[in-house]
Amino acid sequence: MVDVLTTVINAVTISALYALVAIGFTLIFGVGGVLNLAHGAILTIGAFTAYYATSAMGLGIWTGALAALVVAGLFSAVLYLGMIRWIQDEPILVMILTLVSSIAIEQFFLVAVGTQPKAVPSLLQGQLSIAGSTVQTNQALTFVLSWLLIGALIVAVNYTQTGKAILATSMSTKGAALVGIESDRMYLYTWLLAGALAGVAGVFLASVRTASWTMGRGPLILSFSIVVIGGIGSIRGSVVGAYLIGFLEVFTVTYVDSSLSGLASLVVLVVVLLVRPEGLFGRELAEA
Amino acid sequence: MSEKVTTDGESYRDLLDPTSLALRHQLGVLGLLVLGLLPFGVGPLMALKLTGALYFAVFAMSWDAVSGYTGQISFGHGLFFAVGGYTSALLNLNWGVEPALAVVVGMAMAAVAGVVVGVPALRLEGPYLSLVTLVAPLILLQIFIVFSDTFGGELGLSSPENLVTFESFETAITANYYLAFGLFLFVLVLLLAVTRSDAGSVFTAIREDEDAVAAAGLNPAKFKVFAFVLSAAVGGLAGAMFVHTPVGNPQPSQLLLLTVSIEVIIASVLGGMGTIVGPAVGGLFYYMFRDYLGSITWTVPLTDVPVSELDLLLFSLVTLALLFFLPGGFVRWTIRNGRRALRGGGPDGGRAVPDGGVESDAGTTPVERTLASFREALGDDASTEDDNEH
Repeated sequence: MVDVLTTVINAVTISALYALVAIGFTLIFGVGGVLNLAHGAILTIGAFTAYYATSAMGLGIWTGALAALVVAGLFSAVLYLGMIRWIQDEPILVMILTLVSSIAIEQFFLVAVGTQPKAVPSLLQGQLSIAGSTVQTNQALTFVLSWLLIGALIVAVNYTQTGKAILATSMSTKGAALVGIESDRMYLYTWLLAGALAGVAGVFLASVRTASWTMGRGPLILSFSIVVIGGIGSIRGSVVGAYLIGFLEVFTVTYVDSSLSGLASLVVLVVVLLVRPEGLFGRELAEA
Repeated sequence: MSEKVTTDGESYRDLLDPTSLALRHQLGVLGLLVLGLLPFGVGPLMALKLTGALYFAVFAMSWDAVSGYTGQISFGHGLFFAVGGYTSALLNLNWGVEPALAVVVGMAMAAVAGVVVGVPALRLEGPYLSLVTLVAPLILLQIFIVFSDTFGGELGLSSPENLVTFESFETAITANYYLAFGLFLFVLVLLLAVTRSDAGSVFTAIREDEDAVAAAGLNPAKFKVFAFVLSAAVGGLAGAMFVHTPVGNPQPSQLLLLTVSIEVIIASVLGGMGTIVGPAVGGLFYYMFRDYLGSITWTVPLTDVPVSELDLLLFSLVTLALLFFLPGGFVRWTIRNGRRALRGGGPDGGRAVPDGGVESDAGTTPVERTLASFREALGDDASTEDDNEH
């Protein structure tokens, strides 16, 4: 039998990453009201930026991670400015176009990098010992950094001028407009932020596993489950959902059957949608 | 809107006398004639590819019947295609059931799958429904992988018997082509008839305003499930017949992968969602264009990458551009511009059709009209829309 503590540590680490991905996804949905199906592909962009920065340009992995954050964030912002801004009133078209964009990005990496997965170095080397079981320092860092970012985000949204403006836009675009908030600029910030978070998550995911052209698909689909369970638009719900889904995934794969990977969370998603479509913390952001 | 609704008598007379048809209908009939004669003009390999394209077009039309008309956007239509195809192939391979019978059972199973997806559709709205339909084929694929002994996992099953077999390879290809063409014609006429009937008007009304339909004393649930089952049965029929041809195989890559479900949406929206004819044209075009891109051996300078490897990348970029600039689709765009070119001050150039798919003013494509119901589902009122316009 696999050590339970090790499994829990794995689950906690991966959940921390899922939380980063899901928060970006839920922010865009909660504030802009659109589903960004290219979110997983943006994560892939982050991972490969770090890969190229470290392997081709010989930079350190920390610089690489920073580059990933910037590149993924900028790409997300460009996607919004170049495409989504013009069609954001047509949710179906947004879904279709972001999905096609993600296919284009995946295909780009398939052609540029090939099908062989690429290794990205760990951000911290070495191991720690927690309660008698060894933990990769990199995993511990993932967890800590994830919570730092989430904490910073919550503080930023609730206590800064811009953060409050974003919150106001998510609650009522009209009300926000009345007090002089430009909704388009708020949407842009959300896309930028979501892209940056996904980029960082991509670097960590690639350093824990590997970087490949399809690496964004799993996290994207898990994000659906996470944000639906947590309630679309709710940051708190996404964090809770990420840990629920993360634990469910890791425990199913470890103790039941590795071929069930992905299935459990999909079934949960369907059940939640049918039983309680608004999720656990539904409409925290989306409605006044 | 200057819609002129014709009486039934007129439209039947029109159908019998090609010269009385509007230009776009004449062009449509001409197109069908060309499709019918194609096997004599192109080589067997091309005829084989066209067979695949015809089944894909049928599949695209089935998507349009539910998504384009009722506004219940299905992101996982590959599910029905796969259920039909796999059921039929398994029956034939494992129990030696005659292909013709297996196809019928496959279609019935797909219809059952339509009920399974259609009933939840009554509870969910807008993006939530799309999410569930997006996830359904993913779950099915996982099941296929877990039980790969039965379903062949990611590699799929071996080819079942062909529906029609002949001594000569070329005769078999031509026969398969006409089988596909027959189904194509049948589904085209069937879906055109359904969507232009009273039921079709209710479908469109559901897309526009479901509450209004309910207020008028009609039960939207009944029509939505009907649309789903009809669409699933047609999609399943296409899938089942597709695997019994030399081109189609019961493999996830051809029937079930997420890309299949997405391809059918791209093809339909490219052609023109909510018109049936549009997805038929879009489906044929999509399949053949992808195939064409895949066969180019020219290598892109500097990168040393042959175009055939870039096919999906190029295609997705082209699609992005087309969808972005022509959200109403080819067919609608051609008709609108063609009519504008023809109309030298004359009255309405063609017959108006009840689906509103033709004489539409800018800004009223089905895509845009489905918007309202999506907004509602998101808990947003119309105010968001107004703000963005000002």
